[in-house]
Amino acid sequence: MKFVGKIWPRLYIAIAIVFFAAPLLSMARFAFQRIPVISLGKDNLFKRWTIDGLLTTLRDPEFAHSLSVSLKVAFFTVLVLLFLMVPTTLWVHLSAPRWRGVVETVTILPYVVPPIALVVGVSGTYRSIAPWFLASNYSLVPFYAILAMPFTFRSLDVGIKALDLRTLVDAAKSLGASSGRVMWNVLLPNLRTSLINAAFLTITVVLGEFTIASLLLKRTLPMYMAQAQGSEPQGALGLGLLILVLTTILFTLVSIIRKKDSTNINAKNINSGMVP
Amino acid sequence: MARTGILSLGQSDPKGGSHTRTPLQRFQLPVKFKPIGLVPFFGFVGLFLVWPAISLFRLAIQPTKNSDISAMREAITGDYLDSFIYTIKLSLLTALLGVLLGSLLAASVLRIERPKWFRNFMTSFAGVAANLGGIPLAFAFIAALGTQGLITKMIDYFGVNLSDAGFRISNFAGITIVYLYFQIPLMFLIMVPAFNGLRASWSESAASLGAAPWQYWRYVGLPLLTPALLGGFLLLFSNAFSAYATAYALSSGGARLVPVQIRFFLQGNTITGKDNLGYALAAWMIIIMLITMTGYLFVRRRAEKWQQ
Repeated sequence: MKFVGKIWPRLYIAIAIVFFAAPLLSMARFAFQRIPVISLGKDNLFKRWTIDGLLTTLRDPEFAHSLSVSLKVAFFTVLVLLFLMVPTTLWVHLSAPRWRGVVETVTILPYVVPPIALVVGVSGTYRSIAPWFLASNYSLVPFYAILAMPFTFRSLDVGIKALDLRTLVDAAKSLGASSGRVMWNVLLPNLRTSLINAAFLTITVVLGEFTIASLLLKRTLPMYMAQAQGSEPQGALGLGLLILVLTTILFTLVSIIRKKDSTNINAKNINSGMVP
Repeated sequence: MARTGILSLGQSDPKGGSHTRTPLQRFQLPVKFKPIGLVPFFGFVGLFLVWPAISLFRLAIQPTKNSDISAMREAITGDYLDSFIYTIKLSLLTALLGVLLGSLLAASVLRIERPKWFRNFMTSFAGVAANLGGIPLAFAFIAALGTQGLITKMIDYFGVNLSDAGFRISNFAGITIVYLYFQIPLMFLIMVPAFNGLRASWSESAASLGAAPWQYWRYVGLPLLTPALLGGFLLLFSNAFSAYATAYALSSGGARLVPVQIRFFLQGNTITGKDNLGYALAAWMIIIMLITMTGYLFVRRRAEKWQQ
C-alpha cells in the first residue's frame, strides 16, 4: 500500500512534466535550430543551433516600436489602475463597508464580459461618437485596466484586511498628519506587497493581451509576434520564448517579495489574485 | 433603484452610533454621503465596461439586413448555433478534463514531501502556465504538434501518423489539448489550498473510528472538496469559453469557435450587411458567462460561509 501510494503520484507528475515541457522544448528547437523537422535525425540533432533568428527580430525597428507601445500602455495601465483602485478600496474599508459586497461584485464583471465581447461593444459605441479616442494607442489603457481590475481589487482587499486600518488612520491623524500624508507615509508603505503584486500581474496581462489590441488594430507586442510568424517564424518563436522566460522571472520575483514580507500574515492569500 | 435601498440601510449602521464615535469621526461625512468616494470607480466601470456591454445588447436586438427577425434570434440558428454548440462542447470537455487532471496533479504534488523546493517550483510554474495563453502558447504547440511539429515527427517515428489519423492542432482534439495547458495549472492552483484545508486530524479521527481510506474520501474528503471542485469547474468553463487569442493563432482565424467568428463580423464585413450578428454573438456570450459566473459566485459564497 505504501509502495503504491508513492509510485503513482511520481509517475503521474512525470507524465505531467513531459506534457508541460514538450511544447516549450519544441518551441526552443524550432526557434534556435536551422534544420527542418523533416530532415532531423540522430546525426544532426546538435548541429546548426543559432540565435540569429531571434537577433534579426530584436533588431527589427518594428519590434522596437511595438515593444515601446506595449511598455507605455502597461505603464499607464498600472498608473490608472492604482489611482482608481487604491482610493476606492481604502474608501470601502474606511467609510463605506456596506458597499464592499457591491464593489467586489462589480470588480468581477470583467470576467462576465469576455475581452472579445468587450471590444465588440467598444467599437460599437466609441467608433461613432469618439473615433479620435480609438485611434490613439492609449485607448487600450482603460480597457486593460478593466481586465486587470478583478485581481487588483482582490490583492488590495486582502492586503488592507491584514492591516488594522482604522487604528492606523486615527493614530496618524491624531498626530496631526494630513490625509495626503496618511496615504503616502502610512498606508501605501503598508500595502506595498499588494501594490507590487497587482502591478506585476497587470504588466504580464498587458504584455500578453492580444484580443483587444488585434481588433482595435494596435501594434502591440503580441500583435507584432502574430505578424512576424509569417515573415520571420524563427524570430517570432524565439521572441515568444523570451517573453515566457521574462514572465516567469516576473512571477518568481512576485513570490519572493510575497515571502519576504512575512510580517503580513495574510500575504500568502494574495496568491489568490492569480485565481479569481 | 437598489442604490436608495442600500442608502436607507446605511442609516441604521450600528458602527455609526454616537457613543462609539471618536472625536475624529465627528468630522466625517454623514452616512448618506458615504458612497461618494466610490463615484470615480463606478464611473470608470460604467464608461468602459457597462456602457459598451449595454449598447452591445441594444445593437444585437436590431434585425440584420434583409431580415425581419432580430440579430439576437438569428445568432442562434443554423451555423451560428453550431458554433455555439462546438464552443460549449469544447469548454465543457476542457473544463472536465482540467478539473480531473488538475486535481490529481495537486494531490500528487502534495504527496511529495521531498525535495522541499519541488512544491514551490510547481506552484510558481502553475502560476505562469495558468496565465499563459494567446500567441506564445499557440506557437509552442504548433512547434510541437503542428504538421511539422517535433512531437508529431517523434510519434511518426513510432509508426503513428497524426495527420493521417485526422488530427490537426486547429481541430477539436487539437484545441482541447492546447487549452489543457492552461486549464490543468489553473485547477492545480485552486485545489492546492483546498487540499491543504483538509486537516490531518480529520482523516486520523475517521481512521480511529474505523473508516477505510475510501470511506474517509467518500463521506468526509469529497463533500468538503465539492465547493472547490464545482467552483473550479465553472471557472475553467468560463476560462475556455472566453479564450480567443490561442484559438485564433492556432487556426489562423479559421476556427469555428464563437469568439473567432465574432472577429469575422467586426472586421468591416459590411458587404453582407450582417454586422449586427457580431454584436448578437457577443451578447449571447455575455449571457452564457453571466450564468456561469453567477453560479461560481454562489458556490464561492457558500464555501466562504462554511469556512467561517
